[in-house]
Amino acid sequence: MADLFESFVGINPWTALFTFCNMLITFAVLRHFLFKPVKQMIDDRQQEIDQMYADASAAKQKAADLEAEYQQHLQSIKAEQDTMLREATARAQKREEEIVNAARTEAQALRTAAEAEMAQERKKAVNDLKNEIGGIAVEIASKVVEREINKADHQALIDEFIRNVGDAS
Amino acid sequence: MNGPKIYCILPLFGGIPITQTAVSSFVVMVCLCVAGILLGRNLQKRPSRRQVLVEKGVSMLYGMVEDTMGKRNAYWTPYIGALFLSSICGSYIGMTGIFRSATADLSTTITWALMTSFLCWGCSIRANGFLGWLKGFTEPIVVMTPMNLVSEVAQPLSMAFRHFGNIAGGSVLTSLVYSALATLSALLLGLVGKSVIVSLVVLAIGILLLVNGLRAKKMARKIFGIVFLATGLLALLGLSGVPYLEVGIPGILSLYFDVFSGGVQALVFSLLTMVYVGNACPPPEEA
Repeated sequence: MADLFESFVGINPWTALFTFCNMLITFAVLRHFLFKPVKQMIDDRQQEIDQMYADASAAKQKAADLEAEYQQHLQSIKAEQDTMLREATARAQKREEEIVNAARTEAQALRTAAEAEMAQERKKAVNDLKNEIGGIAVEIASKVVEREINKADHQALIDEFIRNVGDAS
Repeated sequence: MNGPKIYCILPLFGGIPITQTAVSSFVVMVCLCVAGILLGRNLQKRPSRRQVLVEKGVSMLYGMVEDTMGKRNAYWTPYIGALFLSSICGSYIGMTGIFRSATADLSTTITWALMTSFLCWGCSIRANGFLGWLKGFTEPIVVMTPMNLVSEVAQPLSMAFRHFGNIAGGSVLTSLVYSALATLSALLLGLVGKSVIVSLVVLAIGILLLVNGLRAKKMARKIFGIVFLATGLLALLGLSGVPYLEVGIPGILSLYFDVFSGGVQALVFSLLTMVYVGNACPPPEEA
């Protein structure tokens, strides 16, 4: 049997039908097994990536907010610290002044008291000396005169003399 | 030049002829289905190298469809993809030498073109209703109706003949070139082989050209040297029936007519389908 050929430019309805069926089958199989799952996968991944980016940017925003908050917090703490330090310094200065003043006053008082005492001591010493000198003079005089003269008269005499001496000295 | 060979005629419904086209179209379908199932298996969020390639191809197709038909028509991608792959594989299967290109048969391309037309009409009817679709032929004015009808008929015909003509013409041209080269080599060998001296001279020229080409690293001299050498040798041996010129030249032609033309026609066919169907599916009414 010789080989049969179709005409070069011709349409065979059976071949056309086969082609149609083949096309439909190819379409159905490719769509179901290749295009749909792959597209689904791509879309899923895209969605996941978008989600990740959204999460990441949200986390970044949150971190920035937190940082700002901490910064503010830190600032306020610093300010508070400064105030406290200033207050403490002022208080300490005041207290120092108070102490120094008190010490000065006390020292002044002590000095005044000491001076008063000293003056009194001196006066007392002068008086004692006067009395003693008077006594000594009376004794010397009595020894010189070898007799008891009116002690009281002499005493007055000597006191006057000493006063004159004291004034002269 | 013959059309597709008829392998056998099934004794059903008054005889169903099984042609080369039917066989290659079936083979293409099986190959595509198997490849699709294998490639679409085992998809993971963290893709393997294979999956990356598959996803790249699929998203390229989706991008192409969305660019041409708009985002609303992205669901057409599987059909366009199947059409494109069937077309390109149907053209390339002719290069195996076992099968004839499925697209070198008008039956195949007219079927696909008619499918495109029917899809257009379906979309139009779905969007505008049956009467709206019929009314579309009278636009922009009633006088245009015959022209619209003609263009509606011409559209699938032009698509079918363009694809068919490119692929079939390519194969015709390739076979013409083959026979022309066979004749030429027989002629050349007959001429050269008439006398031993001419053969020896040709052989010597070939050797000289080849050596020179090898020294100077010139591709053209090397090739011509080999051609002359082969001519001289075959003529000396008296083998005038060897179509040695068929080596090489048809390969370059085939690169254009089969590889390039097949790819371009598949692209053109699917692009036209996208454009026609996209036009028939109008954008949703602006609210």
